[in-house]
Amino acid sequence: MPDFDQEGKGQTQAWQPDLSAPAVLLEGVSKSYGRIFALSNITMALNGGVTGVLGMNGAGKSTMFKLLMGKLKPSQGKVRLFGTDPWKNPAPYARVGFVPEHEKMYDWMTAHQFVSTFARLNGLTRAEAMLEADRVLNFVGLADVAHKKIGQYSKGMRQRAKIAHALVNDPELIILDEPLQGCDPLARTTIMNVIRELGRMGRTVIVSSHILQEIERITEQIVILHNGRLLALGNLHAIREKLDQIPHRITIEADDAKALAKDVIDMDEVYGISFPDNKNLSIQTHNLGAIHAQLPAAIVNNGHRIHTIDNPDDDLASILGYLTSGGGL
Amino acid sequence: MEAAWGSSEGDEDLTATQVAEPVTTGHVFEQVYKPWKGTLNPRWMRNWAILRHHLLGIFKKGHRPWGMPTRLFILIVFIASLSDAALTLLSGLIGDGSLHQLWGISRDNLYGHVLGFFPRNVLYYPIVAALLVGSVISEDRQHGTSALYFSRPITRFDYVGMKFVSVAIIQSFVVLLTLTLYYFAEIIALGRGWAWIMDTFPLFLAAFLSGMVLIFTYTSIGLALSSVSKGKFFPGIGLLSIVLGTKVLAILVSTLFDREILYLLSPYDCMAHVGQTIIGTQPTYDQYSWTWSLASLVAMNGIALYTLSARVSSMEVTRE
Amino acid sequence: MMEAKPNTIYRALDRKAAAITEFTMRQYRTKASTWVVLGVGLVAISLVMLIYVDVMSTGFESIDNDGDSEDPDGDGYPTGQENKYGTDPYMADSNPGLLTPSIEPEPASNYIDEDGFDISISGTASTQSTGYDDDGDCRESDRTNSQQDTNNNGIVCDVELRYDRYQGEWEVDADRYVDEDPDDAAYAAEATHMAFVLGIGKMGFVLLLGMFLPLFLATGLIREEMNDGTMHFMLAKPIARTEVFLYRILGYLGIVWPYFIAIGLLFALISGFVGPSDSFFRFQDLGVWLAIIFATMMASFVYGMLFCALGTMWRFGIVLAIPFAAWELGMCIVSMGAPEAAILRFSVIGWALMIVDAAAVIVWPNMELFILQGRTMDDFGLIWTTSNALNFFYSKPGVGGSGLVSAVFATVVLLVQGAVFWFIGGAIFKGKEIE
Repeated sequence: MPDFDQEGKGQTQAWQPDLSAPAVLLEGVSKSYGRIFALSNITMALNGGVTGVLGMNGAGKSTMFKLLMGKLKPSQGKVRLFGTDPWKNPAPYARVGFVPEHEKMYDWMTAHQFVSTFARLNGLTRAEAMLEADRVLNFVGLADVAHKKIGQYSKGMRQRAKIAHALVNDPELIILDEPLQGCDPLARTTIMNVIRELGRMGRTVIVSSHILQEIERITEQIVILHNGRLLALGNLHAIREKLDQIPHRITIEADDAKALAKDVIDMDEVYGISFPDNKNLSIQTHNLGAIHAQLPAAIVNNGHRIHTIDNPDDDLASILGYLTSGGGL
Repeated sequence: MEAAWGSSEGDEDLTATQVAEPVTTGHVFEQVYKPWKGTLNPRWMRNWAILRHHLLGIFKKGHRPWGMPTRLFILIVFIASLSDAALTLLSGLIGDGSLHQLWGISRDNLYGHVLGFFPRNVLYYPIVAALLVGSVISEDRQHGTSALYFSRPITRFDYVGMKFVSVAIIQSFVVLLTLTLYYFAEIIALGRGWAWIMDTFPLFLAAFLSGMVLIFTYTSIGLALSSVSKGKFFPGIGLLSIVLGTKVLAILVSTLFDREILYLLSPYDCMAHVGQTIIGTQPTYDQYSWTWSLASLVAMNGIALYTLSARVSSMEVTRE
Repeated sequence: MMEAKPNTIYRALDRKAAAITEFTMRQYRTKASTWVVLGVGLVAISLVMLIYVDVMSTGFESIDNDGDSEDPDGDGYPTGQENKYGTDPYMADSNPGLLTPSIEPEPASNYIDEDGFDISISGTASTQSTGYDDDGDCRESDRTNSQQDTNNNGIVCDVELRYDRYQGEWEVDADRYVDEDPDDAAYAAEATHMAFVLGIGKMGFVLLLGMFLPLFLATGLIREEMNDGTMHFMLAKPIARTEVFLYRILGYLGIVWPYFIAIGLLFALISGFVGPSDSFFRFQDLGVWLAIIFATMMASFVYGMLFCALGTMWRFGIVLAIPFAAWELGMCIVSMGAPEAAILRFSVIGWALMIVDAAAVIVWPNMELFILQGRTMDDFGLIWTTSNALNFFYSKPGVGGSGLVSAVFATVVLLVQGAVFWFIGGAIFKGKEIE
């Protein structure tokens, strides 16, 4: 008999996920093509919630996903999905939904046909597949156009159809490779809502993107890849906090910036002040929290008129910039 | 940085990011557009550029990247086609009369060099043609690189014409150049004089002409298939199927019913019939006159070229 | 929500199989290239059928092989009649009308096709005497013994069969005026018909359709999906890659097998009505046609597996298919010329053609004798030509044994070949990294 389970052994028992293992585990994983390392020495474990994977083009995001989905074999290290190695073993995919990056889809199928056909590959009967297809297409907001051909869909609708097809087996782990790529703003919002909802439902969701603002809106858990290396992993604010050597800035737009500066400069944590222009004051500090605690009192007690207060480098763009321009963790 | 990472849409919680210090990654260059007031180079120079790109790609980097199997096969076929020249040289060197009778220049051997069925028109020439025409237009349709041509002052006729000529020239290396070398091998090896050359040159010319007809036919059918398909190999396999499939059918009918009519559908047999007539070898198709074969050949080429021109003129300047 | 099901991928294999097979068939229907290939195949093979119908309806002429229906002296008596009565066919004033009693002139048609084949092989003796002089121009003439026994075997007015062990076939040596003017039209019609069925079955169906359709349709089954990036959809499911390979092939078979069956049955019907027969339809041919359809189906199955494996293995896998196709074409010719050649074992088409040969042996059991009869003719007339064509397309199954055993054996071999290519293709696919 052919080796259906591809493990090289006749697998007669049902595959069971290892409940003690995290949903996704990479240990010392590297992937090289000749002398080029697409990924080097990645170690991380993910279990539950939405995690954003960030990096520039060529950082290794898609490579990592393909390693997780058994499309590539790691040159070094271990990859485990629910405790099982996915290379040459498609059994874990019963619990996984994967939304690939490639744009090409089966334009001649309707979304409903697409989702229900591939649902049957999870072992559903035709009738069950139809029901599940209705359910997931409703979940992603394509219920009214489910019976139109995918070739007629906009980019956002195609992405949602792909997500629907990945959700049809009610997976515990959902991997989305650049799901927002090329979508219009409305589609982006819808997809982000879907992803957030999945996270709230307790699934492990991994999303990759290089659109930083969208990742910020979906999740605070991030993984940053650059040139195949893991630069940062965790809560993005915490990461920013850790970058102590780079001072935080607070920019305040006030009617009388110079007057405000006199009141602010006395604070201990302020180590520098600059005036980008007449109306704006920029405070450099190593302790953002302390400044923010004292700032309202300083403003109100001295009767200053303030228009905006901003932390210009407490966002992902700045973090990435700092990290990739040489400062690692 | 903003521009580098992604567009900022209208966000409710938009924060004004005014970066006071200089951007640390990336530059934005100031661009001033100045209309070009020069003279366009002549049409032939532009066409020559396309031709050169396709021809030099066979053996040089930086030009059209023909695949390695293609280049290798062309080299092998070139060497294999020279077999009769080599044997003629050998017969001259060792002075073997029987070897020369078998392989030296004669009507039959000139015909055989260009139009012999096995192995040249089964293994060599059609497969070279198939490998060349395979992706020459279909890749532009698939990858959208036709935009590179059509956004420049190049007409569609020039585009397809130069591709046609380049594929034909590469094929002529293995067919016509080897024929010429064969002819010269005889002259050199056996020290033929002007009298002999004057006698045999019309035969050589006839064989040369037959070779050109062969190349033209394979190229037009192949290019028509390449313009119809988006795949890389379908046109090549399609060409081989047409050439060999029609031959098999014609042989089948001829063996079964002693009727040669189906040979008119086989490009190879039409070319062979015409070639036999103009070179003057023994005709092997005796049920009908060579003018029918010529008419069929013209019709086949006409259909192929019509298909090619229709497809190319309606080709989208983008990925299809 | 779905109820919990055990998560082994053996579960519901048939559902996954059905899903991928249906999907593949639908995918084929949407592609223009599928219709082009199927259409061109139909047109090509129909051309041969049309020519066959034309040839059969034009009919065959009976030829007076021994020329005894002519009347060179113009006296109204055919040469054969003059010979019978001993008068001189070249002198007008020597004719049977002048004998007593006077003989009326017979129509020339009496002397066309008047002495048909009576050859039969009986027993196993390597030299046999057979044949009978129907019109009596050997037996009843006033010739000497040696004139009546021109083959010098001691028996007058016979046909001697000698078995040549080196060639593996019978030699025919007929006495003069024995079986010299058979029914050309009947023989040629029968021979042409049988040669057509075998020829189009072997070269048209098994070789052209059975090999070229998989070349165009099966090679891209896995490769195109990998190139397009849509393979990720199929492989992100709990389904083994070897299964995906198999089910894609099943989808391909779901398109080409009905096609072969439909065209095969159509051709069986047409040739059954058009072919020469005592009744209105040649029922016995159906056995051969069914074997042709079956052989084509088996060949397309094996080639499909092979070409799909080649496509999976290498981006340019289809380029490898070309020398293979050339090899198979060569083997097809060898199979018809030398069916016992051992090298045929190393091809796919050798075995597929064996199925057709086996059916021919069962349905037309006396084929060799029939061809042999055609060989008695000295001149290159209609009978000789048509028996030659038939001889080219007919072979005894190379394995030996009875027809049924050969057919079953060949089928088993083809199934094994298909399974081997499946294993190879599946194994390559399993280890493939897909970008």
